[in-house]
Amino acid sequence: MSRLVAKLPAPTGTKPERAGRRRRSRQERLAYTILLPALGTVFVIVTIPFVLAVWQSITDDNGTLVGFNNYAKALGNPLFYDALRSTGLYALMVLPTEILLGLTFALLVHRTVKRPGLRATLYVLAVLPLVVPPVAVGVVARLIYAPGYGVLNYLLQGAGITHSEILWLGVPILAMGSIASVDIWQWTPFVYLVLFAGLQTVPRESIEAAQVDGATWWTQFRYIELHYLRPLFLLILFFRVADVLRVFDHVFILTGGGPGTSTQLLSLYMYRIEFKFFDGGQAAALAVLVLVSISILYSLVTRALPLERT
Amino acid sequence: MRSRRAAIALRLILIIAGLGVAAFLYAFPLYWLVATSLKGKAELYQSITLIPQHPTLASYGSVLFERGFWVLLKNSVIVCGATVVVTLAVGLVITYPITRLVVPPQLRVGVLNWALSLRFLPPVAVVIPYFAIVRTLQIYDQPIALIGIYSLFNLPFAIWMLKGFLAEIPVELEEAALIDGANRWTSFRRVLLPLAFPGLMAAGTIVFTFAWSEFLFALILTATPNAQTFPVGVQSLVTQFEIIWNDMAAAGVIAMTIPLVLMVIGRKYMVAGLTFGVIREK
Amino acid sequence: MQRISRREFVKRTAVTGAAFTSLPAFLAACGESTGANKVSKLVVAAVQGNEDGPLKKVVGNYKSETGIEVQVVEYPYPQLFEKLVTTFQANAATYDLCMMDDPWMPKFGTMGALQPLDSNFGFQRDPDIPTVVYDVGTWPPPHGPVPPTETTKAQHLYGITIVGNVEMFMYRSDKSGAPANWDAVLTNAAKYNAANFYGYVIRGLATNPVSSDSLPILWSFGGNIFDDTWKVTLDSTASIDAVTFLTKKLKQYAQPGPESTDAADRSKLMATGKAYQSTVWPGEITGIVEDPTVSQVKGKVAYIPIPKGPSGKGLGMMGNWLLGIPKGSTKGAAAADFIKWMLKTDKMRNYVAQGGIPIRKSILNDSSLASANPYFAALAQSFDAVPNWRPRTDQWNQVETIYGTQMNATVAGLITPQAAMQKAAADIRTLMKAAGYPSA
Repeated sequence: MSRLVAKLPAPTGTKPERAGRRRRSRQERLAYTILLPALGTVFVIVTIPFVLAVWQSITDDNGTLVGFNNYAKALGNPLFYDALRSTGLYALMVLPTEILLGLTFALLVHRTVKRPGLRATLYVLAVLPLVVPPVAVGVVARLIYAPGYGVLNYLLQGAGITHSEILWLGVPILAMGSIASVDIWQWTPFVYLVLFAGLQTVPRESIEAAQVDGATWWTQFRYIELHYLRPLFLLILFFRVADVLRVFDHVFILTGGGPGTSTQLLSLYMYRIEFKFFDGGQAAALAVLVLVSISILYSLVTRALPLERT
Repeated sequence: MRSRRAAIALRLILIIAGLGVAAFLYAFPLYWLVATSLKGKAELYQSITLIPQHPTLASYGSVLFERGFWVLLKNSVIVCGATVVVTLAVGLVITYPITRLVVPPQLRVGVLNWALSLRFLPPVAVVIPYFAIVRTLQIYDQPIALIGIYSLFNLPFAIWMLKGFLAEIPVELEEAALIDGANRWTSFRRVLLPLAFPGLMAAGTIVFTFAWSEFLFALILTATPNAQTFPVGVQSLVTQFEIIWNDMAAAGVIAMTIPLVLMVIGRKYMVAGLTFGVIREK
Repeated sequence: MQRISRREFVKRTAVTGAAFTSLPAFLAACGESTGANKVSKLVVAAVQGNEDGPLKKVVGNYKSETGIEVQVVEYPYPQLFEKLVTTFQANAATYDLCMMDDPWMPKFGTMGALQPLDSNFGFQRDPDIPTVVYDVGTWPPPHGPVPPTETTKAQHLYGITIVGNVEMFMYRSDKSGAPANWDAVLTNAAKYNAANFYGYVIRGLATNPVSSDSLPILWSFGGNIFDDTWKVTLDSTASIDAVTFLTKKLKQYAQPGPESTDAADRSKLMATGKAYQSTVWPGEITGIVEDPTVSQVKGKVAYIPIPKGPSGKGLGMMGNWLLGIPKGSTKGAAAADFIKWMLKTDKMRNYVAQGGIPIRKSILNDSSLASANPYFAALAQSFDAVPNWRPRTDQWNQVETIYGTQMNATVAGLITPQAAMQKAAADIRTLMKAAGYPSA
């Protein structure tokens, strides 16, 4: 539909200044004509669920308006705050580790590995965890951490490091560590790939100039590479924070939220309210709260750290 | 001087040891997945062995044919392929105006920011309203429902990546075509698309991979092998009363293969695409 | 609970798409008829695991006999329940038959989600099938407390058992005789506990697994979740004693990590000769413990009904899997025919040969089958003793989640049994009150 509209021919045979001004406004109009239907449709598709969620959150099962009852229920539930705390703890464990590890490996490989064949191999290896579906990773994690048949305990005991079974999934802090380790395993390579690609774009002349001047690798990094990587860091942070807030699949399989509710992250908590307690109103209220909070958070962050320099 | 060399050597040893440990921690889960998939059922009941005693491909056959998961595999390929097409098309439609045409910068930033914010949408928060919509539109348990939602969720990635690639292509090339008498659509098709091809490949590969792994919407919006995708099948093998770790591992290995092949083929484009166009060549 | 008004709203907001896309659905519905001769396919929603294995094996016979293909779509236990509830809420025609764990009956009965088998399809009580099997598939329940909103409804049969699960007890008979009661279980556990040979196996994974495993013990001690008036009795002395017995006394001799152990793990321990005794479901027996390809203890394990407790009763627990027909199905008559076919005695014998768990008394008491199915005698006894069933409330899933989470926490040693049961009782009281049950 929009392609047809774009077939309008460009103006020909007009005076230069008038042509310039007309072409710009024509370009703008063209842009809007193309953009609006696509964006409009997407906007509508994205907004309808939000509207539905709001509606569901202010009515009860029979459709009568109940005002903010569901919100009161959602905010009054102590498990909600447990879920928030668990998610925060998870993010704290996962984000710094992934970024630091990814950066370390990217720098290491960029500096020390020069042969393209080796780099290609490393690339393939780094890509692997990205393509494994999180459910499959959760399954592998069970095979590693579970008591009785988990291979980790087998290896530890075989190497003589421990003498009894460690309950990786039975002690709350260890369970949290287990699910965090899965996330780190799966996403550090992503950080590595992005930062490594970013390092490739750093101009060699700058590096060589710095090296001639006797800069150590740390100074080199701090003043040159970091400058180029900064926007990428922000981007990675954005995406990883977003993903951590949404994480579900592998935790679902590995611990199901247990032991107790110690690994019941936000998305698992919401899932439980909707599918175990069938409390659609409270689940919708939670959804609205989460969506609104994230929007506020997001706009605050983008205002402080603009990604796109205009 | 000797101590300096010793210090360097020590650092080298530490780095290598560290890398070695990291490599092991990283590779062992993958090895374990493959090893478990090659084990026979009886072996799962014995003590753990690091190497399968009688390696067999039986679980792959069991997963694909006895459990009929090849249908799920087919569904995944169709859904993800269609998602790539839709996402790239819509992505181009959105990215083209804001990179090729002169528009107010607020519009460009606004669109890009809005696109990025979509990534923050927790699926579990919207899965129920989407379920209600899908039911009303009578597309429950139909692949089209998944294609629509996956395209929506992957649009931000596609927009950011395409933005990067399209912005690299000099506007002059298109303007030259326009001056030569071509209309915008022809210049788009003949000049821009071929140059943007690497970006399209990179974006397409990433979108395919993310769509491939999606689980929650597939779980809620499908009910039968009519539309169920492979991750739903993988998860369904985590069962209460059976020990079928080998089948489960085999399903995991199968799930890995196709996107991995794609990633390897599209490697050239990936490296460029992964900077998401945020870093410019200077 | 119906969500009509919400769906009305959704329909109003999504009217454009519905107008266009409902046309093909309408045409498709016209194409199928409810007459048996035109039906070519039935879709069954089933639970993944040992329970539906035999079902999958016998549907081929149905096809050769009648030409109707029965497609078995499997889900893991928790997902099956969620799928069924969401499908029922939307009254979809996705499934023609569904496997239901009997504790789900109250919710589906309250939702009015199933087609009545007796009035619509002429099912009648067969004397060869234990009465309790019909009772468990009837709504409202013929005995025990009835949810307040359901007392006026007419009773109908909505589901028939195809997997005669009643929870039992297993122990290594090559080492000792049968424990007479739970005290003997504890003594034996202490006696036989050794390195790599656990005296007892606790199935403590959160929600359904630990709930199923612990309720019979709760009942044998005289405790319960509710009494006959829906009053919560989870924090009574008897209940707390039972939980303490399991999570403190028996746990000393149990395997490490019971809070992550599920049924398959439990049976595997038994089958590989690493455990002495535990509760067990017949599905695990046929699938694992007595499976010659994986079991090292075939012939060394005996099966008995759940042992007695201090209250003097050994109350087994029903966990039958029923087949029902969703209201949204357009092929009700054909679906009913399939159920009747499964129940025929000769078909059931074939089903048993494939590893199925029967419900006919004549088959259970058939001595010729006893050696191949060593648990039959215990199962027949359990049926005769009229096993208990889980509380017949439509809130059961939520109750089980609350109870199961607290049980899991105390099995893990995170809180004391007393604290766990008091918290669970308080939460369940709040839940039931909000759902309209008589309070406290």
